[in-house]
Amino acid sequence: MSLAAEAFVSQIAAAEPWPENAMLYQPLREDQILLSDCASSLAVQAYLRMLGLPVRVHCRANAEYMSPSGKVPFIHVGNQVVSELGPIVQFTRAKGHSLSDGLDDVQRAEMKAYMELVNNMLLTAELYIQWCDENTAAEITRPRYSSPYSWPLNHILAYQKQWEVRRKMNAIGWAGKSLEQVYEDVSQCCQALSQRLGTQPFFFNKQPTELDALVFGHLFTILTTRLTTDELSEKVKSYSNLLSFCRRIEQTYFESQDRDSQSGASDYSKGPSLM
Amino acid sequence: MAAPMELYCWKGDYGLPSVDVDCLTVLAYAKFAGAPLKVHKITNPWRSPTGTLPALKTSEEGSLSQPSKIIIQLRKQKYNADYDLSAKEGADTLAFVSLLEEKLLPALIYTQWVDAKNYVDVTRRWYAEHTPFPLNFLLPNRIHSRQIERLRLIRGDAILEPEEQLEKELYQDALECMTLLSQRLGSHKFFFGDSPSSLDAYVFGHLAPLLKIKLPNAKLQQHLNSLENLQQFCTNILLLYFPSDSREAPSRKSAVHSDGSDFDNEPHKRRNQILSVLFAVAAMLGYAFLSGIVTIQSSRSQLDERRHDDEDEVEEAEEE
Repeated sequence: MSLAAEAFVSQIAAAEPWPENAMLYQPLREDQILLSDCASSLAVQAYLRMLGLPVRVHCRANAEYMSPSGKVPFIHVGNQVVSELGPIVQFTRAKGHSLSDGLDDVQRAEMKAYMELVNNMLLTAELYIQWCDENTAAEITRPRYSSPYSWPLNHILAYQKQWEVRRKMNAIGWAGKSLEQVYEDVSQCCQALSQRLGTQPFFFNKQPTELDALVFGHLFTILTTRLTTDELSEKVKSYSNLLSFCRRIEQTYFESQDRDSQSGASDYSKGPSLM
Repeated sequence: MAAPMELYCWKGDYGLPSVDVDCLTVLAYAKFAGAPLKVHKITNPWRSPTGTLPALKTSEEGSLSQPSKIIIQLRKQKYNADYDLSAKEGADTLAFVSLLEEKLLPALIYTQWVDAKNYVDVTRRWYAEHTPFPLNFLLPNRIHSRQIERLRLIRGDAILEPEEQLEKELYQDALECMTLLSQRLGSHKFFFGDSPSSLDAYVFGHLAPLLKIKLPNAKLQQHLNSLENLQQFCTNILLLYFPSDSREAPSRKSAVHSDGSDFDNEPHKRRNQILSVLFAVAAMLGYAFLSGIVTIQSSRSQLDERRHDDEDEVEEAEEE
């Protein structure tokens, strides 16, 4: 997300309405996409559905290399390309679609803080489990990540990516953590989210915000993805209000909309549903 | 627990109890929780038990160096500043600490270690002046490259983007983060009521260096200065919990400030240019000496002794 481009985008974006043929790109759903990418992609889809903006999901083996920031997912709207949830939220706001306009200043500060909590702990934990737990990396992550490529490129790319992620963990002080500690962190994060949610339907009462989309994306993906062990999803499952929160969003924004829409938009979730 | 735990931190300056973000956070938390620590303020990280600063040396658990781990350790010893918080406030703490780490910390690293002018004029100077002799040549550069690497990995880029664009992106996030913190704080004295908690320690640790260390490129500082409640928040904590450090402030601060502005502009640049030209000339002359002229000189000195070599030497000289 280059900033100059972003400023440019926000200027001209306001003039154009949301087109019918907006597209969202992500890696191949069946064979390639990883837990963390899938979660981010689902978060963006949930966000756009909450706004009622139509988007068609396209799976591309080279989505990561098509994206302007090197991260998936990204959306292609009109003649503009925007990647990741944060910039996409800004982009839609420039077009006049926003979920968080009803919040006051303190609530908006809290919303941003919780979004960073999810990015900082859940996303990092997903990356850690994918790439730094050797079992998961060998059995799931490396084969999936490199599935579109042939020998020897598949090994080179997978190990390169793994090395990069491990160095990142080093830099942020996660390298010394054991898998147990990471699960503990996930649990702590879920507990914080669960506390914040309480008995409300959404994090800020009746209206969904981008925070709800982000949390849903991550938790739903964790719940419906099979890893080598199901310890990660067990951590989430112990918070019943988060479970019903995921179910509620799935029902409201994915199932009811899919019933009356065409096939293209229905292919959202890679795992089984929560029902 | 018989012996008090020992905490190793970077030395303080500029009216701060320590110049380092993590050390400040830990120091503030220890003060808030009333933990009786034996604090060693040092300028040589190699003397810390873990090799990095801050480090907490405990009798049972060995040494710890990450701020979050140190705080958990203090909490285990019943020094808990978050005791009165409700579960929801605990959740908020976690969320806002994440916000700080994701949005403000990268900009902080950038402004202290990557921005060329700030790094050369203030950060590197401070570390070079304060670390002991052989280390002062080594350490600032090592921290510098480690911080750049860290920033690159946090951002997940293959290479860091060109400076201007990177700065713009980082600062945009950081300014937003400060505004959000200011809105959350409102007119309260601390983030959760009247007593400080770990969130206050984190916010203080991240903002106080910005407030006190005067940098030539001060965009973040300007924004912080415009948020009065945050500024007041930091000053309050300094006055209440670190009275001895904040009293030393004015003299040192003004000294650094005037140094910084002297060094800013043309003379510094021109001196560098002259130095680099001189260095280039010296290098070229040195190369010339080593490859060619040396033979002539040495042949001259040998002239008297070895007349029979004469013709060869002359040929060589002509070639040159």
